[in-house]
Amino acid sequence: MNKDLLSGVVLMAVAGTYYAWSTQIADSTLSDEIGAGGLPQVLAIILAILGFCLAGRALLSMKLNSATVNEAKDDDDEEDRNAPFPRAVGFLLFGAAYVLLLPLIGYVIATALLIAAIAIYEGAPRTWVVPAAAIGGGVLYWAIFVKLLGVNQPVGSLFQGLFS
Amino acid sequence: MSIIRMIGKAAISFAAFTLLSSASASAEPATYPVKVVTLVTHSSPGGGSDVFLREMSKYLGKYINATFVVENVQGGSGAKAMARVASAPADGSVFYATTPTYIYTSLMSKPQSTYKDMQPIANLFLDSEVIFTRTDGPYKTLKDVIEHAKNERGRWGAANPASLERQAAEQLKRAAGVNAAIVTHEGGGDMMLNVLNGTLDIGIGEIQELRSQLDAGKITLLATFNPQRIVDKPDVPTVTESGYDVSLVKFRGLAGPKGIPDETAAIWDAAVKQLLEDPDYKKAYSAEVLVPEPIGHKDYPNFVNDFATRTEAFLKSTGAIK
Amino acid sequence: MSTFADIIHLLTETPIFFVAIIGLTWGILGGALPGISASITMALVLPFTYTMDPAQAIALLACVYIGAEYGGSIPAILIRTPGTNSSAATVIDGYEMNRQGRAGEALGISLMSGVVGSLFGLAMLILLTEPLSWLALAFTPASYFGLGILGLSVISSMSSGSLLKGLAAAVVGLMISTVGTDPISGVTRFTFDIPDLLGGIEPVLVMVGLFALTELMSQSGSLNTLKLNASIRIKLPSLALMNKLKRSQFIGCILGLFEGLTPGGGGSIAAFMSYNEARRWSKTPQLFGKGSEEGVAAPETANNTVASTAMIPLLSFGIPSSNSTAVLLGGLLMHGLIPGPRLFEQSAQVIDSIYVGSFIAIIAQIGIGILILPACIWLVNRPRYYRSGFIFALILSGIYTLNNSTFDLGIALMLGLVGYLMRMTRFPVLPMILGVVLGHMVESSYRRSLVLSGGDLRIFLEDPISLGLLSLAFIFIFFSLVREFREARKAKLKEVHS
Repeated sequence: MNKDLLSGVVLMAVAGTYYAWSTQIADSTLSDEIGAGGLPQVLAIILAILGFCLAGRALLSMKLNSATVNEAKDDDDEEDRNAPFPRAVGFLLFGAAYVLLLPLIGYVIATALLIAAIAIYEGAPRTWVVPAAAIGGGVLYWAIFVKLLGVNQPVGSLFQGLFS
Repeated sequence: MSIIRMIGKAAISFAAFTLLSSASASAEPATYPVKVVTLVTHSSPGGGSDVFLREMSKYLGKYINATFVVENVQGGSGAKAMARVASAPADGSVFYATTPTYIYTSLMSKPQSTYKDMQPIANLFLDSEVIFTRTDGPYKTLKDVIEHAKNERGRWGAANPASLERQAAEQLKRAAGVNAAIVTHEGGGDMMLNVLNGTLDIGIGEIQELRSQLDAGKITLLATFNPQRIVDKPDVPTVTESGYDVSLVKFRGLAGPKGIPDETAAIWDAAVKQLLEDPDYKKAYSAEVLVPEPIGHKDYPNFVNDFATRTEAFLKSTGAIK
Repeated sequence: MSTFADIIHLLTETPIFFVAIIGLTWGILGGALPGISASITMALVLPFTYTMDPAQAIALLACVYIGAEYGGSIPAILIRTPGTNSSAATVIDGYEMNRQGRAGEALGISLMSGVVGSLFGLAMLILLTEPLSWLALAFTPASYFGLGILGLSVISSMSSGSLLKGLAAAVVGLMISTVGTDPISGVTRFTFDIPDLLGGIEPVLVMVGLFALTELMSQSGSLNTLKLNASIRIKLPSLALMNKLKRSQFIGCILGLFEGLTPGGGGSIAAFMSYNEARRWSKTPQLFGKGSEEGVAAPETANNTVASTAMIPLLSFGIPSSNSTAVLLGGLLMHGLIPGPRLFEQSAQVIDSIYVGSFIAIIAQIGIGILILPACIWLVNRPRYYRSGFIFALILSGIYTLNNSTFDLGIALMLGLVGYLMRMTRFPVLPMILGVVLGHMVESSYRRSLVLSGGDLRIFLEDPISLGLLSLAFIFIFFSLVREFREARKAKLKEVHS
């Protein structure tokens, strides 16, 4: 399916959802005439129009064959540089796991696990260097953020008090 | 839009400081059930409540035998700080610096923990909310401003949206029966520029934020919303004296989690009274134009609830909340 | 400013020299860590300054600010992660130069441009505080609206190729900026009763998500991205190159000066606008986005200038124009110093130490830069499978510190996915970032102006600054449209011929 057509449809869907949410904004006499919902509604309408134009243009160019060929060629160079979708999302899932585990196992261990997991995912040779780098990284970041800068990172409910 | 949220690293430096000063004090500090007391604020380091707590903790060690640590829990206009305090143990080890902001946030944003989940312990001060204008502008009294708003159209500034200042402006507008555009800002600094350059007729804000321009003589106070005149500025009338029946109190005190024992709260009652009489502290807070107003733990909940009820009624009347 | 002897005294007798170096180093460290903005870096040292001598304490904070504004450019160039909001524009050409194996060169340019900007800003602070402070007063809400629109007009030329997609991205950015508490009425919007959303979505989450995470995701699994730099040496720009960069640095200085004076932006608007202006006035605009030296110099000059000129409204009115100067204001208040006209008379020593400390910090920045930058280049040239994990962990650690909340991490990850999809469907990300950065200012100043005028739109034409800025914006938009149209026609002609 044509990417522009798809993104045009997605944009219109985003605009619709956003518009629906914006109608729930409280209306207050403390507000001005435009109101808290004024800009959001204008934005939703503009986005819907832009999405419509994008989708329409894509449909038009699908009819004109030459343009589609041209576009496909462009996409090819772009994809050389980019990881395919499943691979990229996989990368992100490690981040999601980190977010979920962080409050539970604490900063140092979560960071070490993240570094190790990404290293293996990205094809690091499976030697002792992976765990060493992971533990080293976890401790290093903990030293920088918690000890040196003095900002808080979660201790982890499983190990309360161990790294505070 | 404040972005900083961190635990006040001041713990160590302040612990040392308060210990030193408490050791040198002649009076014996009252014994207290816990060793370390955390004072939580939603304001950023250097912000209003943060400065208030840090100043206060310098002197508090003389009257309560504990170490005081300030913790900045920013985010959600106090929603996070309230959640932090409401879920803390009720042994007198954690308190929250109350200002009208926490009532407004509780009402407007409906966070998980609200003022109702906390127990007001003691009030210390009333802040002075004032009406000011630029010195070289056309207005010399509040009457002038109202007259202008009657004949043409007033332009009044309030420091923050949905705040006590905003409420003050609305109530003044109603009391005087005039048509004025009320422009809300993001903080007093932003509004100050618009008062100085003449975009606004008047601004309504806290006197603390005006001190530099007041000292320099660039702005003049027209009236205060306080029930009484400000001791330091005896020639500034109250709004009520000027003929408009509006008066407001912006309080500053402490609240803890629900269920703090009476004995612990009583220690605070006594300590706050002594603290406000402390000559060094008095000097410090007078310079900031804070009006001492000690209210004990028995009366403070009523005071706060009363304030909340009135605020809620006001916000409902405007449609800001349902 | 007092006598020359006093300054010599400050330089030699008191440890102001050390204070400046420590402040600078701390600032660079904090600024270089993604998510830890200049203001957080300053707030983190604030408690330590309570017990210091006031003059030193304030000088320390000022030097931290200078260091942090500079430090933000290091990860922007090396790992496509702006360390601070205002270094987001540096990512565009800085990271591109890095990809071409010119990291040492890019870092050298950003270092020297930072020094130029800081020195210019400091000179303005010392010499022209009085006249410039009145310029700040000339800005009404209508003027801010003009400024915001001028900033947004950049979108039209940043999305060359597909204006439609650029505009859509900008609108989505503006939508993100509406989340949180409404600036005028205070009611909540799009918060779904989640307390983390009450304060809105931080621009830095959007930047980190769209720039850094997207890049990490796109690189995943590939073997031949980012050429290893043969040399880790820092290449300071030659005189000839500095001469070539003169124009873009001048643009950066002027825009940085203005942004510093006016409340709101804190450097990011000036950085983006100077990037765009530098391209507009460049002899080689086609190189922008493809590793242009000027594209690094302009925003880096601008955001470093802001670090000094933001002090002007702070010291002369007591009005903080950014989050960072708000922390500095806190520092002043803690020491019982009330900024304003009388500070210069009553506490001349504090003012002097800000000047002297800043000057030392700016000069020391060159030395510290030359010392630490090779190490930074070496670090990012480790094998990619380790580098990705370390960068990912660094980003997540940094943004966690914003609000100590894993919620922000979730938002950043989601934006990473959005950025990846935008890259696949060829949507430009810069307009979206600009929308997030400027949305709040444009909306609140527009509505505030109309409250003032009673709904009369003429207020934007009657205010001279607003009129001037809006006209400029329309001229810019017009010319970019003409250019876009011409290019499209040229492309069509080519197609027909071939």
